[in-house]
Amino acid sequence: MSNFYNMPKLPTENSPKVEIFVDDKAVMVPGDTNLLEALKAVGIETPHVCYHPYLPVSGNCRQCLVEQEGPRGRMLVIACYTPVTPGMKIFTPASSARVKNARKATQEFMLVNHPLDCPICDKAGECTLQENYMEAGQNESRMRPEYGKNYHGNPDHQFIDAKGQVRGGKHVDLGPRVLLDEERCVQCDRCVRFMRSIAKSEQLQLAGRADHTYITTFPGEKLDHEYDLCVTDVCPVGAMTAKYFRFQKRVWLLSHTPTISMDDSLGANIWLDHADGRIYRVMPRCNPEVNRSWLSNTSRLAFQGFNKNRLPAMGFNVIKSAMGEGKVAVVMGGACTIEDMAAARMLKDSMGDKVELFGGSLLKVSEPDGIAKSGDPCANRAGLKLMGFADVSELLKRAGEFKVLLTVNADLFGEDAAAAKALEAIPSRIAFSAFNDETAKKATLAFGIKHWSEVQGTMVNNLNILQKLNACPVCPDAELRPAYDVISELAGKKFESASAAFKKAGEYASVLAGLSYDTIKSTGKLLEGGEA
Amino acid sequence: MDIIESKTWIEWVITIAKFAFCFVPVLYILLLIPMERRGAGFMQDRQGPNRSYIKIPYFGKIRLFGYIQNMCDGTKLFFKEMFAPAGVNKVLYYVAPAIPFAIVFLSPCVIPWFGPMVFDWGDKAVRIPGSIIDSDVGVLLLMGFSSLSAFGAILAGWASKSKYTFLGALRTSSMTISYEVCLGLSLMGILLLAGSFNLTDIVSWQENHVWGIVAQPVAFFCFLIASIAETGRAPFDVAEGEPELVAGYHTEYGAMQFGLFYMGEYSHICINSFLIATLFLGGYAVPFVTTETMQAHMGGSLAILCGILAFLALAFLHMLHRYSKKLAATQQTHRFEVLQEYKLYKICGWAAVVVFVVLGACAWFLFNPANMAINGFAIGSFATALGTALIHLLVLVVKSVCFCWVWIWVRWTLPRFRYDHVMHLGWKIILNIALINLVVTAVIAKLVGGN
Amino acid sequence: MARVIKQRPMNWIERLYIFECLRGLFTTLKHAARGLFRYETLPTISYPEGQPEIRHTYRAKHRLMLRPDGTPRCVACGMCAAACPAHCIFIEATQSDDPRIEKRVMRFDIDHLTCVFCGLCAEACPVDALRMDTKKIVFEHRTREEFVAHMSDLMDWDPKDYPEDAQSQMAPGGTKNKQALETWGMEVK
Repeated sequence: MSNFYNMPKLPTENSPKVEIFVDDKAVMVPGDTNLLEALKAVGIETPHVCYHPYLPVSGNCRQCLVEQEGPRGRMLVIACYTPVTPGMKIFTPASSARVKNARKATQEFMLVNHPLDCPICDKAGECTLQENYMEAGQNESRMRPEYGKNYHGNPDHQFIDAKGQVRGGKHVDLGPRVLLDEERCVQCDRCVRFMRSIAKSEQLQLAGRADHTYITTFPGEKLDHEYDLCVTDVCPVGAMTAKYFRFQKRVWLLSHTPTISMDDSLGANIWLDHADGRIYRVMPRCNPEVNRSWLSNTSRLAFQGFNKNRLPAMGFNVIKSAMGEGKVAVVMGGACTIEDMAAARMLKDSMGDKVELFGGSLLKVSEPDGIAKSGDPCANRAGLKLMGFADVSELLKRAGEFKVLLTVNADLFGEDAAAAKALEAIPSRIAFSAFNDETAKKATLAFGIKHWSEVQGTMVNNLNILQKLNACPVCPDAELRPAYDVISELAGKKFESASAAFKKAGEYASVLAGLSYDTIKSTGKLLEGGEA
Repeated sequence: MDIIESKTWIEWVITIAKFAFCFVPVLYILLLIPMERRGAGFMQDRQGPNRSYIKIPYFGKIRLFGYIQNMCDGTKLFFKEMFAPAGVNKVLYYVAPAIPFAIVFLSPCVIPWFGPMVFDWGDKAVRIPGSIIDSDVGVLLLMGFSSLSAFGAILAGWASKSKYTFLGALRTSSMTISYEVCLGLSLMGILLLAGSFNLTDIVSWQENHVWGIVAQPVAFFCFLIASIAETGRAPFDVAEGEPELVAGYHTEYGAMQFGLFYMGEYSHICINSFLIATLFLGGYAVPFVTTETMQAHMGGSLAILCGILAFLALAFLHMLHRYSKKLAATQQTHRFEVLQEYKLYKICGWAAVVVFVVLGACAWFLFNPANMAINGFAIGSFATALGTALIHLLVLVVKSVCFCWVWIWVRWTLPRFRYDHVMHLGWKIILNIALINLVVTAVIAKLVGGN
Repeated sequence: MARVIKQRPMNWIERLYIFECLRGLFTTLKHAARGLFRYETLPTISYPEGQPEIRHTYRAKHRLMLRPDGTPRCVACGMCAAACPAHCIFIEATQSDDPRIEKRVMRFDIDHLTCVFCGLCAEACPVDALRMDTKKIVFEHRTREEFVAHMSDLMDWDPKDYPEDAQSQMAPGGTKNKQALETWGMEVK
């Protein structure tokens, strides 16, 4: 293993184009990146195991071999570590049998002692090794059955199975959240690089040499980092598995909903993987500008509470009449979407000066960790600002002026009970909340709405990027409605859909005018003119 | 009074008793339905309905080879609710099914069931014809009756107020008309040869000369096809073609109304097979034996008859025995039950064998017309005539059952004709063949110098 | 590609129809006579009393093969459920207690009302855990729920019914069970 790690340069829209020759055909590729990314930019996928766009290049798997015309003839080079130079001549398996055979041989070596665990492996279906095998491998097994697969890794974990084969390291407990299968490990060291370069906490190491290499922690230490579940994402095989998802569902049975994690103002892009009406796991969704490929454990494991302790939607007419009791303070929490805010603005329009709008959270803002968290638990703070909501701290000062408090996804009492005590002076407290939280318990009227994972909407993160949320069909109760739907009905003009609400938001915030869900890319849209 | 006294009492008794023959077609239904269902089953390599049973002590479940099934079906049809769909012509709707069934009781009147009984009663020579009505236009009557049954279908189809039934009725009427022509024309040849419309005359001509099937083979085929078509059975069942018309003219009928149609159809088959047997197969005539020979050796004839019956019973017993042996060797869970049931049949079979053998022996040794008298009143010739009539009747029944089988056999073998093919066959082929046959017959008859 | 079969044109005798009719009549007569005089040779069976002879290759009710220690061989990979065209297999997996075995089946239900008995599940099984050779073809229950065969039901079979199958004999109660247990119970380091 090389000690020299450097991050790969990824092509951007502004990359200079250079001409290279791939399979004797001239193509224009981004000039400031490595060959693997350049080939990908022109549609040629190169199989790779150890290379990861957001991890330093290690180049140990040798799976991405291509041929390059050099001064000493055509040489096999690894595409991931070869920078693009103008006029270089590259040969892929499409024209070169040598590349094909080399990749095939690499693949075969990688599979020599890789157990046939695919049926029970949680990675099966999204495993890089499987994909590569289908693309580059496909060779007849040359394994001698009397020899079989053998495990040479950690001698402490070896055992002999019923067929008399040396096996081992099947479920090594690395820490509270991650299990390691040493047998499946292909020693790509992605997890080691992740912990070293991204998490900045070298909790994982490679031990042993050559065929005996295995992943381990330092003696007596555990893998317990805030981002440790990311190693299960970067792991190209099923060696690192998350305990929470272990054996829960075969991945091909999961449907994926792209959305935004609404518990941090960075707004990490995520996939909600769901099946049978429940979320099974949350995976990071690659967004180079926001969270790259990383996701914190907090955001990742939050889904386990999404369908618990939910509030039912009952007594809407009582709430409607309670709104008329006096001056209303509307407090929108960080998980509210732009659409919810548009509905609240409409409520203010319809009720005039009787309504004042506040937003935000009472939680402390901490430092950004530089990976996938900004530290601000009020996810849509930028959106609140954009839509002209005053901060909730102002409400605490003027609590006495109001007769009605309407909290929307804002668990003020749960966040800071001492500070929120002032709000108890308000006689009528209405809580619109997905959960039966502290505020809902303290409220005089509580009404259940949809959680952010179940609604369509938009949010603005702290980088001033407008991002889309999509509705994941996992709502436990068919009666529940999105907040914008409920509030707009209070305002007397119900929105037909989320896109109608978003259009309405354009009237209140000029940056949003002219945008629609179709024009926002999956990676979001950087808003111009707004302030982060 | 004159009329009554013009005949002896025995004549009156027999004449009145002959009306019992009116019920023969209805009795045939009891024979035909199981024959049809199990015959169809056998032809299709399956067993046919054989599950219904009556439970009796000791022998257990008695299935009678599936015969009980027909009783069950009949009972079901009988006790089902009779209903009429909304908007039908109630009177016609309820009358229609009765028509074909009523015809059934008329048609047997003209069929000669046995040769004329000629015997001495005291000092009087008595002659009793074999048919209920010894009409000189017997054939025409029969044809008329059988075409009347089409009215049932036509009225039913019209009264039901449904497209399917109406189409079915139209087809029935057109087909009846078409095939009546063929039927009549193919008949003309044999009538020409016999020189009479009287069925008894036709039979006696066949008895004296040669059977109609030999004299008129082409006419026989035409007549057979036309009469199959006339009964409206496969392959000519376009009138109730299931794929097109649901069930044709009786689509809207259920319960016993449908049952009447159903029974009418089978009785029609029965009558037509009697007609064919009479016209082309020598009727009641015993093959190769003249009535005179038979009457001269009445004791022997009856003994042979009993012998044949005993042989049939033995054959039945043999089949039972063979099948029980096979059944006992299998692993079927109900085999002991079935074997127990077969015990009853075996007992009956052996009883029949004994009875027939005893009867045959009695007939062989004891039948002597010259010595037969009751209180000095000689009944020898009456007994001979009675025996002749019995043999004649049995022969006729056997012949007609054979033809009934042909109906069933044809139905489960040949696929249905398309409607236009039916018409094509009737008008362009069979009619022409029948016409040519008639002309040729007439010419030959004239040349040979018949009547 | 579809194969075009050219039919021989009918000759004039065949087109006359009547002779072909007679041939057909003769065929049916043969069958009818067989039924009448050789009733026992009919190919049909009196069904509920007489059971059809079923070969072990017939796709009947499923069974779960067992390891020598009596646990199901199934590793809950879900291949059968993935292969199932009728979606009638429901599997839930859990961690195995045996350190040598990673994944264990917790719930294995087959809805035999939905099942089409195509046999793809047995084909798909990578560990030979699911077979359809029980010869049980009759499913009679009172309620729909009872048609769902649970794991205990699928594991309830007797090795004596499969005397020729080595894999079945390794299950508890089989002739090779002792031998298999010795191999199976190898020391775990």
